Amino acid sequence: MKKSIAFISFVLAMLLIVTGCSKGSNDSSSSATAKTVDGSKVSITLLNSKGEIQTGLEKIAAQFEKDKGIHVEVIACGAGEVPYTKITTMYNSGNAPTLAILDPTDIVGLAKEYALELTDQAWTAETEALNLTIDGKIYSFPFCVEGRGIIYNKEAIESTLGREFDPKSINSYSSFKAILEELRKKGMENPVFIAKEDWSLGAHQLGFIYDAYDGTTAGSEVIINELKAGKDPLTVDRFNQFVATMDLMLEYNFAKADPLGADYDQGALELACGNVAFWPNGCWAWPNLVEGGADVNGEFGFISFVLGDDTSDFANNMIQASASKQIMVDKVQSTAEQQAAAKEFINYLVYDANGQKMFVEETALIPAAKNNPNAPLDPLGKDIAERTAAGLLYTSCFIAPSDHWSVMGAAMQKYISGNSSKADLASALSQYWKAQN
Amino acid sequence: MTEASKKVGGYKKVVIDVLLFILVAVLFVAFMVPFLMTILNSFKVKMDILRNPLSLSPSKGFSLSNYVDAFKKMNYLTAFFNSFMVTGFSTLLVTILSSMCAYYYVRHDNKFSKICSSLMSASMIIPFQAIMIPLVYIYGAKLGLLNHRSTLIFMHTGFAMSMSVFIFQGFIKSNVPVALEEAAKIDGCGRYRTFFQIVFPLLGPTTATLVILNVLAFWNDYLLPSLVLGVKAIKTLPLSTYEFYGTFSADYGLIMAALILTVLPILVIYLVLQKAIISGVVAGAVK
Amino acid sequence: MKKSTVFDIKAGIMFALPGLLVFFLVVIIPFVYGFYLTFTDWNGVSQVKSFVGIRNYIDTFKDTEFWSSMWLTLRYVLISVLLVNIVAFFMAYLLSNGIKGQNFFRAGFFTPNLIGGVVLGFIWKFIFSNVFTAIGKSLGAEWLSKSMLSAPKTAYFALILVTVWQLAGYMMLIYIAGFTGLSHDVLEAASIDGATGMRRMRSIILPLMVPSFVICIFLTLSRTFMVYDLNLTLTKGGPYASTRLVAMHVYEKAFTSRNYGVGQSEALFLFVIVAIISGIQVWMGRKKEVAA
Repeated sequence: MKKSIAFISFVLAMLLIVTGCSKGSNDSSSSATAKTVDGSKVSITLLNSKGEIQTGLEKIAAQFEKDKGIHVEVIACGAGEVPYTKITTMYNSGNAPTLAILDPTDIVGLAKEYALELTDQAWTAETEALNLTIDGKIYSFPFCVEGRGIIYNKEAIESTLGREFDPKSINSYSSFKAILEELRKKGMENPVFIAKEDWSLGAHQLGFIYDAYDGTTAGSEVIINELKAGKDPLTVDRFNQFVATMDLMLEYNFAKADPLGADYDQGALELACGNVAFWPNGCWAWPNLVEGGADVNGEFGFISFVLGDDTSDFANNMIQASASKQIMVDKVQSTAEQQAAAKEFINYLVYDANGQKMFVEETALIPAAKNNPNAPLDPLGKDIAERTAAGLLYTSCFIAPSDHWSVMGAAMQKYISGNSSKADLASALSQYWKAQN
Repeated sequence: MTEASKKVGGYKKVVIDVLLFILVAVLFVAFMVPFLMTILNSFKVKMDILRNPLSLSPSKGFSLSNYVDAFKKMNYLTAFFNSFMVTGFSTLLVTILSSMCAYYYVRHDNKFSKICSSLMSASMIIPFQAIMIPLVYIYGAKLGLLNHRSTLIFMHTGFAMSMSVFIFQGFIKSNVPVALEEAAKIDGCGRYRTFFQIVFPLLGPTTATLVILNVLAFWNDYLLPSLVLGVKAIKTLPLSTYEFYGTFSADYGLIMAALILTVLPILVIYLVLQKAIISGVVAGAVK
Repeated sequence: MKKSTVFDIKAGIMFALPGLLVFFLVVIIPFVYGFYLTFTDWNGVSQVKSFVGIRNYIDTFKDTEFWSSMWLTLRYVLISVLLVNIVAFFMAYLLSNGIKGQNFFRAGFFTPNLIGGVVLGFIWKFIFSNVFTAIGKSLGAEWLSKSMLSAPKTAYFALILVTVWQLAGYMMLIYIAGFTGLSHDVLEAASIDGATGMRRMRSIILPLMVPSFVICIFLTLSRTFMVYDLNLTLTKGGPYASTRLVAMHVYEKAFTSRNYGVGQSEALFLFVIVAIISGIQVWMGRKKEVAA
């Protein structure tokens, strides 16, 4: 009997150790957060859906804490994690981030129920054209401007052609075709790179049929509503022009042999090395071009994603740029203090000299607030800044359901690999929109 | 079996043995390719990897910088400690609780056991995605228990129960004679003592198997910890690995170094205990 | 202490309760709550949800993509289960005959199990799209210089290949255990009787290995039906959604398409189907076992 008592006490002791230690781990974890919460310090969280700026954001957060005494924990989205899923689970778990950097379509989905209205904030005047309005109200801060078109490598083009290259001269389907032909004749067999990623094909390339409707978000809604109402894409001018340009690029596609083996990383590498001259993509590609060997002083920039042969068409002279990432402030699960701190963080990015400077230097993004005096450092950012000054941007930012890029991206992959026809692509598009009714 | 075949013996047998050995060796090399490629490329810079992953003389040479970088960015030591705590305690808990539970099912074959035991077996095929949201809703929004390592330990235990009970049950049924316990009972042993002193030691091989399988599962798990642990200071190794995995493009070399660092502790233990582990799995697998 | 069939409360509380409690709190309660959600129109995040009856189940039946991905998964499961078990059985057989370095090889083939699914997918994606193509290019082999992940058929095959690579080592160990358990006397008696080679295999070894087959097939069935990590990181369902297996479809339905109720009810369907199939498999196995 004695032995059995000894044994039971042994088991109990073991259980105590287990629970005791796990309690201990509790304490250490809460003390880790307590460090930042104690005293008067407010602690907020920021969900970051742009993996490539994680380190930059952390640096800004550290500086912000030094300057304003508010701790910001930057939360990353892990590999293969969809930002919307992440924020959904965070809301469900009662751990909603105070600030969240999200795509406009995600903001639209969450705004009315969860986002703090920001219409009265002073910065709205600095970001005017880029504000995302939902029923006349602003629920998010336009975090950065991202432009997309066709990136060129001037040096590669000029050394192949043996003559000067003026990007402005490419302002129609025919002029684009002419230069591709010329490049091929002079020895660059396939001067265009098309990346296979569904987000690139489905949202960024195909998106031109909405964004280029008349260059405004309202215009993109018009065409989307027409498609929803059953309009045949084959009767939509922009769709036909888009497919024509796509076909042209596919004809000169570097990865012709295996279009779906050509990924984004390889695109950056080939363009940076000058193996190709053109790559339809956006300004976010700069860090990747650098990894591929591009230099900050290199001559890279955008030509329009040409649509049709009208050289006076805005779509052939401007490139699309919009605030493709927005920050919302949670109004449901955060305290009033945290909300105030979150607003202060936004103001820090817009108005504080340190914030302005670090935003440009650490994230290499283009600020949406026009009062930021710091010029972008890289050639793609510079191109967009110049275009902003010259009024050569259109700011449409189409809003599609969250699965648009993946469903239509798949349809586009099928098309570029030659496994479907233009009619198939049109019917996939038509079906997608009709199902949204 | 070997003896049986030796009798057939002779020259032919030697040839067959050599051929078989070559076959196994080739298969083995094919199995190892992914690991070798990962190790090779973890010492290169990204562009060299993209240009030619096979190259043994990359333009920028080999360097340890990916490892140094990954080590820092992952908060390796903290994350390692967290993984260690979580894996250790979860394994301990699940081993004790599941063996007791299985013991009850076997020794008390009533309706209650039957229902619970089949419920557990069935739950092994519930897709995790189906309970993910309710899980975080209940434990997060309702109870506010997330962001604690002990919550993760608790959940790991719950999810690993069914499989562990399932395997223990089979083993106890066929390998633990009731007679021993009856003798112990006559000697006046209490129930816990009977179980822990007499029955549990007999479960040795199965326990070894389960410890291995559970340690591997807990150490590598990503989805559940990512839902439970939101605070940096308590993140486990897989979590900190995927944190810096870019959205659009990944820094291949860095990631591979991080992968190696994540797997390394397990690999070292595995190499050291290789024989015991394999024979443990073998001994406990069937029954 | 005979096997008691009456409900022994004290023993129940002492032994079964602690484990059961954890299990119920973590698995069953969320599952039941998830079941309740299938009767609502919840979108996954909203604070309001209203009762919609069985509409989500009707939508599940109408979701043709769900059924086509289910069909795709069934084929994947069938091929993978067959291949995994054949390869594993074969390896186990080779490594139970006292071959040189036997233990070393056993350990080596088990290594893929040391690494989690997400990591495996990442490594293999790299192997398929970078390493194999580099080999192909340097050998001038056209068929190998294209990434296997870029065409539907080869991508599907790649998925199966990695599955076999991952699971074969584990199953191999279970079969080795089975072989070790075979009594030497039986085998010896058999060879004295003149049973050799294929005949020995068919009439003596295979029937005795039935329990191992039952376990291995059950494990491979449930693993392959639920495969998600690998699917996501290796092919992402591509090219053009041709390799999107059912678990991934369910996940996307619930989160990317923001149709939580339908996603949840599809997950339940998946659960029921897997339960039926593995139930049948185990039952058939047990019957064989008794017969043998």
